[in-house]
Amino acid sequence: MTAISVDKLSKRFGDTLALDDLSFQVEEGEVFGFLGPNGAGKSTTINILLDFARPTAGEVRVFGLDAQTDSREIRRRIGVLPEGVETYSRLTARQHLEFAIDSKGTDDDPEELLTRVDLVDAIDKKAGGYSKGMSQRLMLAMALVGDPDLLILDEPSTGLDPNGAREMRDLVRQEAARGATVFFSSHIMEQVEAVCDRVGILRAGEMVAIDTVEGLRDSVGGGSTLRVVVDRASQDALERVRSLPDVTSATGEDTEPPALLVKTSGSKTAVLSEVEAAGVEVVDFSTEQSSLEDVFHAYTSGSRSRGETVEQEVRT
Amino acid sequence: MSGVEFSSVRAIAIKDFRDAVRSWTFWGLSALFFLVIALVVGVLAYFGQDIAAEGATTEVLVMYLSGITRPAIPLIALLLGWKAIAGERESGSIKIMLSLPHSRTDAILGKVIGRSAVLSLSLIIGFALAAVIVAVVLGGFDVAEYGGLLLVSIIYAVAYTSIAVAVSSTVRSTTAAAAILFSIFLLFYLLWDLALIAGFTLISLGYLPDSEYTYQLLLFLYYLDPGMSYTNILSLVTSAVDIDIAVLAFEGQLERTPFFLRDWFSLVILLCWVVVPTAIGIARFNRTDL
Repeated sequence: MTAISVDKLSKRFGDTLALDDLSFQVEEGEVFGFLGPNGAGKSTTINILLDFARPTAGEVRVFGLDAQTDSREIRRRIGVLPEGVETYSRLTARQHLEFAIDSKGTDDDPEELLTRVDLVDAIDKKAGGYSKGMSQRLMLAMALVGDPDLLILDEPSTGLDPNGAREMRDLVRQEAARGATVFFSSHIMEQVEAVCDRVGILRAGEMVAIDTVEGLRDSVGGGSTLRVVVDRASQDALERVRSLPDVTSATGEDTEPPALLVKTSGSKTAVLSEVEAAGVEVVDFSTEQSSLEDVFHAYTSGSRSRGETVEQEVRT
Repeated sequence: MSGVEFSSVRAIAIKDFRDAVRSWTFWGLSALFFLVIALVVGVLAYFGQDIAAEGATTEVLVMYLSGITRPAIPLIALLLGWKAIAGERESGSIKIMLSLPHSRTDAILGKVIGRSAVLSLSLIIGFALAAVIVAVVLGGFDVAEYGGLLLVSIIYAVAYTSIAVAVSSTVRSTTAAAAILFSIFLLFYLLWDLALIAGFTLISLGYLPDSEYTYQLLLFLYYLDPGMSYTNILSLVTSAVDIDIAVLAFEGQLERTPFFLRDWFSLVILLCWVVVPTAIGIARFNRTDL
């Protein structure tokens, strides 16, 4: 069954067309990354899905229900982490959760939910004193109330440190394992590629690409660039690495210590083993994200001009 | 248009009560309000020996107190309500509230009820504290009249809360909400009297017909002020009398008092001030993009 179905959706704000005949579907049980630069129309799409804004044309359906006429029923079945919002500064985390639990008529335990997002220590502190990351964790806990069938996470990593972002991804995986559909919006590719089954790239109100992470990677023929720092320069190592089938290029770098730059669409360990097989010691290595970040840039930047598109941020 | 669900309205009202009841602005104002009441009682006690002897203490107390509550309650209600919806829109927290299964109608009703409850609580506490002082200093008072003043004050407070929440839901910024609400306050508190006098002048200069109907109409318009309704209802439920000179002069022109100028009709007007702004707020809020 289809969790989200967006059909020929357009939204106009005065002279600007924020969404232009947008259509896509998210299947039940999948983790879908909704990607695009700021102002591409991600928030507008989510706002229409939640009936915060009304479409100029087209419609959105969630579990077959109309986003405008059956909004309450939809919101009963979903959990939302909204973007760029402040929590109620005078209320504690417990009171926030009690509000969500009351609102959904469930019997969740606030402590248990806050434990899941690692905020239980601040349960009785007022949210006004929270950091951005703590507020984000609190809203994530609120989104989890009632084990929703669909989670809408709008820029969920905002304000989270790398550790928090990783915990967030773990939570997304847990929810997906439970059977929930996850709709995850972001303007940073790196955050979605690790957890998403499929990714849709939105640009100026139109979907410019929609595919699995692998499919997108293949579509621009990218791969990752591996930078291997070694104890000494070695022509033999370079030859060995070049002979690997997945490696498209390998060059030496005259840095101190020297390094190898290897473009590969295959396994990193295979490259490292070949280097070591040449009797060269690997001091350090790093992956330079030429992968999906490049895919993202390929689709979202450049001069693909269209008649009536907007580049600036459209806020509602 | 979105439906109303009782459990949603209750959840929002509870949330909003918990939120607003922790506002320092609100408690500061309430404390100030209570101090003024205490001051009035003190002054009454000091000069009130003669009044007490005539057995009219509560009557005078109600009169003085309503003189304070008539402008103070709107001010507190407006200060408490101006951010109700516009503030949540500015901070974005409205998206937290409305991503939960609530309709926009639920949101406005919950806000009006939650904030009204907070304001009522402060009035009850203020009046109860003042009652203790009155009882100690004046040696007793008429509980029924005092209770009447409190009850009518609460309805009056709910009316202004309804106005505040409605305006707050119609505009996008708290600044705009504050400007409109303060204008409404000034309109009724300062300009309304002038408008009545202007009407009176227009009649005497011959620009308006000097007929019974003109007087009835002008007076009816004048009575639409929630504050005027408040005073009129008080003269109905307590023995305090209306002493507005301009109104007395006007009423003197009438040969008979039609139903819509009677004191009981002021209760209808005040209840309309509770219902109509909220209804308009709901209708408009349901149509807008957040």
